[in-house]
Amino acid sequence: MRIVFLGVGALGSTTAVLCRALDASFALVDFDKVESKNLSSQAFVKQSLGKNKAEALKAQLLNFYGLKVDAFGVRLTAENIVQLLDGAGLVVDCFDNAASRKIVSEHARAKGLPLVHAAISGDGSFGIVRWDAHFVPDAEDHAGQATCEGGEHLPMIGLLAATLARTIQDFVARQEQRDSMVGLKSVTVTS
Amino acid sequence: MAILNITYNGLSADYPIELDGRVADADLKRIAVEVVRSGDVPGLHLPNLPVAAFDGFVIDRLQGGHRLYLRPKVPFGA
Repeated sequence: MRIVFLGVGALGSTTAVLCRALDASFALVDFDKVESKNLSSQAFVKQSLGKNKAEALKAQLLNFYGLKVDAFGVRLTAENIVQLLDGAGLVVDCFDNAASRKIVSEHARAKGLPLVHAAISGDGSFGIVRWDAHFVPDAEDHAGQATCEGGEHLPMIGLLAATLARTIQDFVARQEQRDSMVGLKSVTVTS
Repeated sequence: MAILNITYNGLSADYPIELDGRVADADLKRIAVEVVRSGDVPGLHLPNLPVAAFDGFVIDRLQGGHRLYLRPKVPFGA
C-alpha cells in the first residue's frame, strides 16, 4: 500500500517516523523548509536546516533507517493533487490550514480514497485523529495564530502522532477505521 | 439520551443529557458551563469556569446526534 503524508511538520514528520516499520511505501508532501524553531517540535535534525521538509525527511529516513520514500517539495493545490496522490492507498492529512484540508477531502471523496486527518489545538492541549467521513476542518481563530512550535508541546505531539501511527497501522493490517481524540490525560476512541 | 463529551484544558469527561430535538450550539455551551461549574461532570469540576469558556469551541455531532463532542478548535497539523 502506498501511504501519502500531506504535511510533514510536527504531526506529519513524527508520524511518518513511527510508521517506518509498516509494510507499505511512502510519499511525503510539503512545500515548507526546515527552520531552527522546528527542531524542538518536529522530527528534523540540525543537519536538515534550510532544506525542504519533504526532502529532508526523505534523507533522514534513508540515512537513519535505510528506508526509501518519495518526496514532493511542493504546495498541494487542486491542480496538482491528482499527480501527488497517484497510486495512494491511504492519504494522511497533517496540514495546518483548512483550505488545504478541504481540497484533500473533496478529492478523496470524489475518488473514494481512504483519508485520515490529524489535527491539534493551538495550545497543544487537545488533538483528534478522524477519518474523513466525520471530519470538518477547523479554521484558525485569526491569521497567524500561534501554533505548537515550542518544545513545550512535544510530548502531546508525540502522543497524537503515536495515536495516528497506530490508526494507520490498523488500517494497513485490517482496513480498520478508528477515530480518536487525545487529551492531556487520555486517548479516547470515539468511533 | 445523548452523551455530551466536554474537553477543556486538555481534560475530557462525559455528561449524559436529555435533549428534546436539536439543541443549538450556543445552548449546549451554556449547559456545559453550568454542569462543569456545578460539579455534575465527573472529573471536570471547575466552580469558577468563565461564562465564555467555550466561546470559539466546536461541537461535533456524531452517531446521529447521540454523541456530542464540545472541544477546542484543532486547526493545526504540520
